[in-house]
Amino acid sequence: MWLPVLSLIIGLFLGYISELRIPPEYSNYLSIAVLAALDTLFGGIRAQLQGTFEDKVFISGFFFNILLAAALAYLGVHLGIDLYLAAIFAFGVRLFNNIAVIRRLIISKWNDNRKKA
Amino acid sequence: MKLNGKQLFLSIILLVTGFILSFSYQMTEKQNRSIERNNEWKREDSLRSQILAIQKSNQELSGSLRKMQGSIAKKEKKLAEQEQTSYNMVEDLTKLRLLTGDVKAKGEGIEVTLSDASYMPEGENPNDYIVHEEHIRSVIDELLVSGAEAIAVNGQRISHDTFISCIGPVISVNGTQYPAPFVVTAIGDSSTLEKSMNLYITDKLVDEGIQVRVGVNSEITMEPYLTEES
Repeated sequence: MWLPVLSLIIGLFLGYISELRIPPEYSNYLSIAVLAALDTLFGGIRAQLQGTFEDKVFISGFFFNILLAAALAYLGVHLGIDLYLAAIFAFGVRLFNNIAVIRRLIISKWNDNRKKA
Repeated sequence: MKLNGKQLFLSIILLVTGFILSFSYQMTEKQNRSIERNNEWKREDSLRSQILAIQKSNQELSGSLRKMQGSIAKKEKKLAEQEQTSYNMVEDLTKLRLLTGDVKAKGEGIEVTLSDASYMPEGENPNDYIVHEEHIRSVIDELLVSGAEAIAVNGQRISHDTFISCIGPVISVNGTQYPAPFVVTAIGDSSTLEKSMNLYITDKLVDEGIQVRVGVNSEITMEPYLTEES
């Protein structure tokens, strides 16, 4: 269990100290990437709790979602439509859904444990 | 082994997620800071424009100040001219007052004493040997022509309306009677007055049988002649 936690800490650290600069007009892409990452992460947790977790789906979903969101934002910038808002909306809704499902699963699990005990 | 692979994938995902999250956080912070800097720049700009506006108004004010100073200088010049005129007028007035005998006069001058002849041959007309009014008048005229500022006869100031008349052996000046000798005092440049007296009038008066004595006095004081109306 220690490896994912360690990698999360390393990732946070790297991101914080990185001197990489992206122009302000690309900050939309970054926000979409953040949402996509979070969405995939919570989706993975839900799948894990439901017992339907699959590595390939998880990994491909993570990168594919990010790329799709970025492509959508790119298209939106070039069409003059704020399409990245659609991605943000979709990811936000899914994020809430996933978190709600996770909460229910955890509560039902906890209830089961109490009944057993 | 399967669990390990799962964990590896999970760690990679978490690594990327953490990176993106903190990177985004850090980016936003930097942007906020740059926005603040932008605001500072705006503030600086507005302050600079305020300074510019103040400088402009200063310039305008100094321009109007210069204009006002110019007009003040003009007015002062005018005033100075007026003062010059009034000063000249006062000077003229003083001279005229001296001439009319309205003010007390003091200064150097000469004293001409006219007296009757001390020796009168027998059988001659005594009228030819005494001082007449015209003698005094001619002396006064001569002194006036020579630039005398104030003249008095026996202490009686001569003014523009003085009358001198002969009443027998005495002469009346402004109504006051005086016997011989007559002392005509004149204030003015003493050497000029003396020279003018010695030019011919003394000889003429001596010719007419009058004793004439011309003396220079460095300090003569004359009381003003106050007529009844003044």
